[in-house]
Amino acid sequence: MSIPSQHNNNDAIVPPPRPLVQRLGAILWPAFLLAGLGSMILFGLYDPVTLAELLDPPLVISRHAGYALGFFCLWAMTTASSYLTWVLLRPSARFKAPK
Amino acid sequence: MSKTAETTSLYQRQEKIYPREISGRFNRLRVIAAWILLGLFYVVAWIQIDGQQIVLFDLPARKFYVFGLTFWPQDFLFLAILLIIAAFCLFFFTALAGRLWCGYACPQTVWTEVFVALERFAEGNRMQRMKLDKAPMSGQKFRRKFTKQFLWVTFSLWTGFTFVGYFTPIRELAVAIAQFETGPWETFWVLFYGLATYGNAGYLREQVCKYMCPYARFQSAMFDADTLVISYDPERGEKRGKRARKANLEDLGLGDCIDCSWCVQVCPTGIDIRDGLQYDCIACGACIDACDQIMDKMNYPRGLIKYTTQHAIEKKPSRILRPRIFIYLGLLTVLCIGFALGVGGRDPLITDVIRDRNALYRVNNERVENTYTLSLINKTDDTQRYVISVQEPGYEVRTWPKIEVPGGAVQRVPVTISRAVDEVSGAYNIHFIIDSADAEANSEPLSVEPSRFFAPE
Ligand code: SF4
Ligand code: SF4
Repeated sequence: MSIPSQHNNNDAIVPPPRPLVQRLGAILWPAFLLAGLGSMILFGLYDPVTLAELLDPPLVISRHAGYALGFFCLWAMTTASSYLTWVLLRPSARFKAPK
Repeated sequence: MSKTAETTSLYQRQEKIYPREISGRFNRLRVIAAWILLGLFYVVAWIQIDGQQIVLFDLPARKFYVFGLTFWPQDFLFLAILLIIAAFCLFFFTALAGRLWCGYACPQTVWTEVFVALERFAEGNRMQRMKLDKAPMSGQKFRRKFTKQFLWVTFSLWTGFTFVGYFTPIRELAVAIAQFETGPWETFWVLFYGLATYGNAGYLREQVCKYMCPYARFQSAMFDADTLVISYDPERGEKRGKRARKANLEDLGLGDCIDCSWCVQVCPTGIDIRDGLQYDCIACGACIDACDQIMDKMNYPRGLIKYTTQHAIEKKPSRILRPRIFIYLGLLTVLCIGFALGVGGRDPLITDVIRDRNALYRVNNERVENTYTLSLINKTDDTQRYVISVQEPGYEVRTWPKIEVPGGAVQRVPVTISRAVDEVSGAYNIHFIIDSADAEANSEPLSVEPSRFFAPE
């Protein structure tokens, strides 16, 4: 299957954009792995219940909720980081001029 | 062409891959590996010894039970070492034999195989599946698709349930599910993991390996010219082409490859191994099985596609024992010994000293008092009695008359220590000594914990 390529101003060939699933996958999945590792380290060292109590004002939550909250906060951060990397690495030809 | 059509055409569409089923040596190995790994996963969660689930990462209680060993948050270091050991095992096996992990052990591969098997059961073999997908919706198609979805969803939910069963006691979880009484988080994680399994193994499949998996890209760093890889022998195979079974290859100027494209059809990632080693190749060996069958049919020797090394292809000597292997092996040995020694020599008691957060000191009856909370974790399986004292002379210790901690439990003990006001000013380093109540005199104390004692300046 031939895939049309784009050209940027310098006429260098720019690969065609990847399908949405691939982009989502490549951003979310590594972020997920790292968030998992991060949670393991964080909650191996600290009890989420104690961590929540340290907040000002203290937060009273169950351990289950603490783990989940911690994991999703980390995942959100790692995802944001992956996403920014993706934005920065996009070829310039992909940015459309304002209409 | 409308604007949207133009944009979508720019996107590389993922062609659906219908891997052809193949039998053979490597397929058999793969099936055995899958049975063992999945068997372990689904069965081990249910095994109990003395009423204790043998593998349980009890997150709510913050205790890990692994084959008779109990790990506490304080043993975090061991978890870290274990992760490092796992990583080095991966490096080691990758350097030695390439992507063994990918082809036989990666959950992505193993669960995908199960999903493909269920799909085959519901929708038939490769040809039937391709036909079915092209056919318009009919009662028959609906029934087949429905069966497949039903099997997939059930299997995914069971997987999610088992997964959560490693983090919260599985028997209690099963009872809770039967009575529709699971906590919100358990329900959520069962569904979350179930959905991840369904999506990854049912739909994404080889795309996970090609576009999402970091290991697939890292492995080139662990490969060298002596690593076992799956490879096509172009010298023997080319020039490829169709021919009759009895044809004389010399006359036709052909190599051994009959260009039947079986190796491409069986490939779960949809690549052509004859184009050379590609990072998309998960080294599953399916193309070897396929090609060997063809070679047998043609009465050619097997091994047009085979496990080999870069050096062997270039007709240079291959070495299995090379520095890289020794380095990985050495590090692995050191880590494993360290782990075993560390786990064997763990303290039977863990103490944590927390100073009273509200006041540095209190003056009471001409004495300066500091208050602490000692949390004592009894890591043995029996109830223990402890006594608490302070190493430095001159301090008076006030605490419970009898400190008893059941096996595997945590006890927080309030402790007040004091000295006469005129003896002290400023801050002092002190050490709490916690020992077993029936320890012999002069033996090493169970635990010595440093802390600070404050008095008015
Ligand atoms: S490429 Fe990644 S996801 Fe695919 S089998 Fe290998 S390790 Fe698993
Ligand atoms: S090229 Fe062969 S070994 Fe590699 S993934 Fe495809 S079938 Fe498996």
